[in-house]
Amino acid sequence: MEIILFYAFAVLAIGSALLLVNLKNIARALFLFFIVLFAMAGLYLFALADFVAITQIMVYVGGVLILMLFAFMLSNKELLKDLKDSSGTFLSMPRWQAIVLSLGFLILMIFGIREWQQSPPTWIQQARENNTEIISTDNNIQQIGLRFMTFYVLPFEVISVFLMMALIGASHLSRKERDR
Amino acid sequence: MAGKRDQSGIISLIGIACSFISGGLTWLAIWNHPTVSAEINWFTIGASTFKVGILLNNLSALMLLLVPTVALPVHIYSRAYMKGDPGIHRYWMYLSLFCFAMLGLVVMDSLLLMYIFWELVGFASYLLIGFWFTRETAVQANKKAFIVNRIGDLGFLIGLAIIFTQFKTLNLIDLFGETGLIYQSAVTNGQWVSPVNSMDQIWLTIAGLAFFLAAMAKSAQFPLHVWLPDAMEGPTSVSSLIHAATMVAAGVFLLATVFPLFNESALLFIAIIGTITAASAAYFALGQYDIKRILAFSTISQLGFMMVGIGIGTWDAALFHLVTHAFFKCLLFLSAGAIIHEMAHLKTHSHLDFDPQDLRNMGGLKKYMPKTFILMSVASLALAGFPLTSGYLSKDSIVISSFEWALSKGDFYLIIPVSLIVISILTAFYIGRLIFKAFLGDFRIMDQVKDKLHGAPLHEASKTMLIPMFILGICCLFPLFSLNPVSYHDSWLMDGLLLDEYTFAPCHSAHLIIPLILLIGSIISWVVGWKWYVQHTYSLNTNSLALKAAFNQGYINELYQWIFVDGTLKIARFCYWFDRYVVDSLVAFIQFIVLSLSRLSVWIDKYIVDGFVNAVASVAYWTGNQVRLVQNGKLQTALYSVFLFVLLGLIYLIFF
Amino acid sequence: MITLTHFLVVSACIFCIGLYTVLSKKNAIMILVGIELMINAAILNFVAFGKYDKVSYGGQIFALFAIVLAAAAVAVGLALVLNVYRHYKTINPDEINELKDK
Repeated sequence: MEIILFYAFAVLAIGSALLLVNLKNIARALFLFFIVLFAMAGLYLFALADFVAITQIMVYVGGVLILMLFAFMLSNKELLKDLKDSSGTFLSMPRWQAIVLSLGFLILMIFGIREWQQSPPTWIQQARENNTEIISTDNNIQQIGLRFMTFYVLPFEVISVFLMMALIGASHLSRKERDR
Repeated sequence: MAGKRDQSGIISLIGIACSFISGGLTWLAIWNHPTVSAEINWFTIGASTFKVGILLNNLSALMLLLVPTVALPVHIYSRAYMKGDPGIHRYWMYLSLFCFAMLGLVVMDSLLLMYIFWELVGFASYLLIGFWFTRETAVQANKKAFIVNRIGDLGFLIGLAIIFTQFKTLNLIDLFGETGLIYQSAVTNGQWVSPVNSMDQIWLTIAGLAFFLAAMAKSAQFPLHVWLPDAMEGPTSVSSLIHAATMVAAGVFLLATVFPLFNESALLFIAIIGTITAASAAYFALGQYDIKRILAFSTISQLGFMMVGIGIGTWDAALFHLVTHAFFKCLLFLSAGAIIHEMAHLKTHSHLDFDPQDLRNMGGLKKYMPKTFILMSVASLALAGFPLTSGYLSKDSIVISSFEWALSKGDFYLIIPVSLIVISILTAFYIGRLIFKAFLGDFRIMDQVKDKLHGAPLHEASKTMLIPMFILGICCLFPLFSLNPVSYHDSWLMDGLLLDEYTFAPCHSAHLIIPLILLIGSIISWVVGWKWYVQHTYSLNTNSLALKAAFNQGYINELYQWIFVDGTLKIARFCYWFDRYVVDSLVAFIQFIVLSLSRLSVWIDKYIVDGFVNAVASVAYWTGNQVRLVQNGKLQTALYSVFLFVLLGLIYLIFF
Repeated sequence: MITLTHFLVVSACIFCIGLYTVLSKKNAIMILVGIELMINAAILNFVAFGKYDKVSYGGQIFALFAIVLAAAAVAVGLALVLNVYRHYKTINPDEINELKDK
């Protein structure tokens, strides 16, 4: 049962990503990206990372995607014009070098995964044996919160400062130029 | 006196008079006295030294006397004959040149120097024959004379070379003197051996024949006689001096000088050629109408006689005939010149157009020119060999000696004396014909000129012409040469040139019979001639083939023209064709090949060599152009190359 | 049974698609989308391996950090894209290929 759902989410994610790549209409591409993100969240759930899934939806979909949409809308009349013109051709011709490279990577990675599958690392075995595997009845949020405040408190603070820097930087970069 | 304006020729006259005086004095000093000679060194080549010098023996003293004695009257005669001619200053110049050359020829002591003067004499003859060079016939004649003479000069040179090779000297005393090298050499075992060299005996004959070739050309022997009739284009005084008396005698003089060189076969050859010459010339003389041509052929015939005299070994008889011939032939020419001079005057005065030299236009001139008639008749009698003339002595000496020679050699050789007798009778006939047609009978063109003139059509020749002729006439009679009018052996000339003995025995009956035969034959021919030419009862066909052949000189000139002149022109035309079409086309072909090769190399250079260089450049350009694309400044290119190398690195790490 | 391998395969596919998007799109925003896809694939990888780490929850914590970083990157990137657009009047990366200003 699980596995069917998993495959469904996986296919959804990969299919949307492929379609996203081949569309000329950028607005539609971005909306497909939206679907890809949701599917990825679903996949996180299957890995028993519920908090990460929710965070993904809230931050990525609700923030990043909206930001991209706004940026796209504001970027040019030329693109809007491009939207109108490119309605004829639904799919764009891919560049062969990029395809070759991507396929190369894919093949390499799948090959590596299959190789790795023969001999997985010991700590995974030990985790299975010692019952330190996350199971679905665990309270992930509580545990993550505990870890944030004790174990990972430095990266946590650093990343909040970093976010603030990014905020200031982005707003500065996109300030309105005075008329010369 | 100055140059071109001087018409009197006084310098030449004084010159020849001095030569006459000094020649006479020399003769007196040398004749029958020891030989005189002197020489100086001329130049040295290698080990041999050539000397130049003078030799005076009986022979050269005789010639030294003869030449001025004949030349002086001719000079005096020329004053009147050439008067008014626009080129007279050239005439005196050439005449003096000729006399110098002839006198030099006879006194030289070296064969080389003789050769030099020999050539000079031929050159002077060329100048004088072509004296009136504006006439085409004169120019052709002098060219012909010079070219035929050159053939003879070739013979002289060959003879010189052979003698020098065999004896290593060209000095006449060393060679032909009493103890000369020629007498020290002999033919043994098929080799001609001399004190310094030896060669095959055929060379002895060849040397003799070579010198005879020289004499053949200079003395107009058959078949090289063709230049002498044409040489009559020159002035008559020139013809009398050069082509009758002196230059043509140079050949005989040469043969007398080198006489010891001849062997049996050479001498026989000389005799045969002499006979043929005499016969053919006498035949041709019978058919000629031009006075000077008749006399020219007569000269050739008499020269043939002289050659026979040499050929049979009696060169003293030949020289005797040469001397007497000089006098009477010179006189004949001068008289003919007087006639022609008067006929030319008649032509200009009467404004008619006739040939002043043609016999058919003359006749009965005895009435108008009696003294000329007498002198010419005396000379003709001398030519015919009538008794009481000098010619009788000399001609009979040759004929009788030839008869004796033939008897000693064998009966077959009698052809020669018999031919000589016949030729002598023919000689009497043709000279009689000349006298009868010119002086006796009626003046043939009288009807044409009668109305144009008042008085006699012709006058006697002027004194300036007559006096030299008279002097020569005296010399044609016998007292000058021998006090005995009948026997030639008593002549002082023959005594002086005495040969030790002849190679044949004398035949006393011949001394009587032959002169009688000749006399009777001459009288009969004159009677026949009188009937035909004076009384006009000509019984033969005027247009017969034989007469035509005689008039055309046996068509020998045409033969030479066809063989030599046309042949040379044909060869020249062939060479031109060859050069134009074969050689030039060969050159054009080579040019075509070279051009094609050059075009080929241009093509190779342009397309292959340059193409190779250009191809290398294009490959470099294309490669660069491709590699340039890496730096196109695009973001995605950089990203692409990064990920590509990462992939390649991973592949390398995993698999290798 | 969903094994680790499944997650890894899916992650690999998403990553390659993201790579292709980065390399072949003519729009700067699509390049950012591609980058996002690649980061998402990495996060999936993190989460898949984090399942086996109950002791320190390392996988999931770093997944969260990665999400935050990705968001920050996108924000700054879009600000840059906006500036580029203002200056060059285009966001086609092929036309922004010179170091000097146009």
